[in-house]
Amino acid sequence: MVTMARKGIVAAAAAGVLLLAAFARPAKPAAAAAAECDRECLNHFVDQYLDAVVAHDPSKLPLAKNVKFTEDGVRLEPGDGLWATASGLGGYKLYFDEPAAGAAGVFALIQENGTPAILQARLKIVGMKITEIETLVARKETTAFLNTDNLTAVRPAFLETVPPADRPSRAEMVAMVGKYFDGIEQGNGDIVPFDKDCIRIENGIQTCPGSPTSPLGALSCGAQLSTKIFTYIQSISPRRFPIVDAERGLVLAIVRFNHPATSQTVEVPGRGKMTKGRYSQWPNSTQIAELFKVKDRKIKEISAVIVTQPYKAPTGWE
Amino acid sequence: MRKTILNVSAVAVFFGAVVFMGTAPLPAAPAGPQGGSAPSSCDRSCLNSFVDQYVDALVAHDPSRLPLTKFVKYTENGQKLELGDGFWRTASGKGAYKFYVDDTEAGQVGFEGTLQEAGHPVLIALRLKVENQKISEIETIVARGQMAEGGAANLEKLGKPRAAFLEDIPPAERVSRLELIKTANRYFSGMQKDDGKGDYSFFGDDCNRLENGMQTTNNMTPFGGTTSNGTPRPAPTAKYDPATNPTTYSAGWSCRDQFRSGLLHFVSWIRDRRYMIVDQERGIVWGFGFFDHQAGDTRNFETPDGRPVTAGPTTPFTWEIAEIFKVRHGQLHEIEAVLTQGPYGMCSGWSGYEQCRSDQPQW
Repeated sequence: MVTMARKGIVAAAAAGVLLLAAFARPAKPAAAAAAECDRECLNHFVDQYLDAVVAHDPSKLPLAKNVKFTEDGVRLEPGDGLWATASGLGGYKLYFDEPAAGAAGVFALIQENGTPAILQARLKIVGMKITEIETLVARKETTAFLNTDNLTAVRPAFLETVPPADRPSRAEMVAMVGKYFDGIEQGNGDIVPFDKDCIRIENGIQTCPGSPTSPLGALSCGAQLSTKIFTYIQSISPRRFPIVDAERGLVLAIVRFNHPATSQTVEVPGRGKMTKGRYSQWPNSTQIAELFKVKDRKIKEISAVIVTQPYKAPTGWE
Repeated sequence: MRKTILNVSAVAVFFGAVVFMGTAPLPAAPAGPQGGSAPSSCDRSCLNSFVDQYVDALVAHDPSRLPLTKFVKYTENGQKLELGDGFWRTASGKGAYKFYVDDTEAGQVGFEGTLQEAGHPVLIALRLKVENQKISEIETIVARGQMAEGGAANLEKLGKPRAAFLEDIPPAERVSRLELIKTANRYFSGMQKDDGKGDYSFFGDDCNRLENGMQTTNNMTPFGGTTSNGTPRPAPTAKYDPATNPTTYSAGWSCRDQFRSGLLHFVSWIRDRRYMIVDQERGIVWGFGFFDHQAGDTRNFETPDGRPVTAGPTTPFTWEIAEIFKVRHGQLHEIEAVLTQGPYGMCSGWSGYEQCRSDQPQW
């Protein structure tokens, strides 16, 4: 009874998020002339932010008076968390921006007391000041898997510009990405607009297509979902889409995967009973910042930063 | 409202408040965070029966079996959940270790116990608030996995709490609730940015601590594994000896010597200290709190004998903790804790943001 009620609430909440996302921000021309801070300006804010973090000095930043900062879903004061431990920047920086929304994002390699971690940061710029800083830090201690060695260069697809005539609206981009999360929840890759060669990299590790030697073999992203191996992810809620970079065909989703861990195995057609995976041992959630490259109305590449959290821990921005 | 002592200097004012209130009649039964405490009509066995009902309902995955107030609030590992979600779906059996801490004055009961989850042993710290024979608040910490399984097995072997925990304090030796809380709070204050220079006379010579069922003081059994620095965990040493230039504290040391060493400095902040359950008859205080490990500047410190040391976790994280203290004659003797790792700086779900960030005691 409780389960059914919760599923209903989750479904309604998810639908609500999508609906809001679709209507809250009408589609605008990608290069909104009115944007006070263009791509270069936004990326400069990101660089300033990264430098200030490594310097352990938030006073170097043009922060709004009531700036809100979260790390791994917890509200902290700027200067705390990664600010206290960052010891250097790595070479990897993947920028994405939505100038019309004053929204800047980055995936970056960072050193923390000499150990590499992956930082995802989202900044909101209003009046040339930073009003919001939302971060996830994938550390070996807080994720089920991580490999920073692979993050040497940004994959070219994330940098390619989409011709203006081929740019879907913000709402269309969000809806396409939303289908990915629906497909995971439903164990159905067929409903997701995957490019046939879609590649997904999570915390630096390619997870689809899989390695031929992995338990599922070299299945495509969509085929993996259809095995229902991911049905330990009971719900993906809440979902937010804070940055849509129309010029490059990128969507940043920040979502929470909820794993109630009510069963540890699943029957996979043709493969028999399989263990569902790392997140099915006990109730937990993962907070995920996931960047999608959409090209020709298909999801071509996915890159994700994933942090394990207490079950249903808030992301701090609901 | 729960009481919070407000001042820039938590410790100083806390002690000041104690002095001021020391000879005054005991305060009325402290209200829970939701306010509205009524005189308790539930004695020790009544409170314990609520725990037993709760555990039965939990393993049956059926909260409808419980007498609940309309707006009952439930948290698990600091997150507000619907009753029936989380551990309510996965609890698969009861365990043998049961430690009840009753506060008949406040109508609250704490329970530390072993349970099964999908066939694996886990530890739970549970707080129930009972109002008019109904449960109005449910706060839980569930410790699982590598950090808890071995210790849960240890507690199962023990079978019951250490006898001294359950002994009554002779009526003539009982002290006020506030005195008991004050003694327990010295533990958190002493550990926070431990410098080894405090007055640690609040530890009894026989003080012994179990954390997630593992004995972490006076224990010469090697734990194995690695320290937070990634180096092999050294074999325990029986006695703190500055002449050996230790850089990490040892589980072989006494409670007092671990503090005296100054090597707990990396516990940068102990906050949101909520002393929710006090059993005056038995001299037991149950506190909730968070141990932050900032992992930045606090890794670099000086020992009391002036040696520079770099030690402690290299990435920020927080322990969410429920800690049970036995207080006799103003000293801590038996200590037992249930703790689970959470995101750095997390809050409990029972305090406001300012309280969550504060190291001042609340009760």
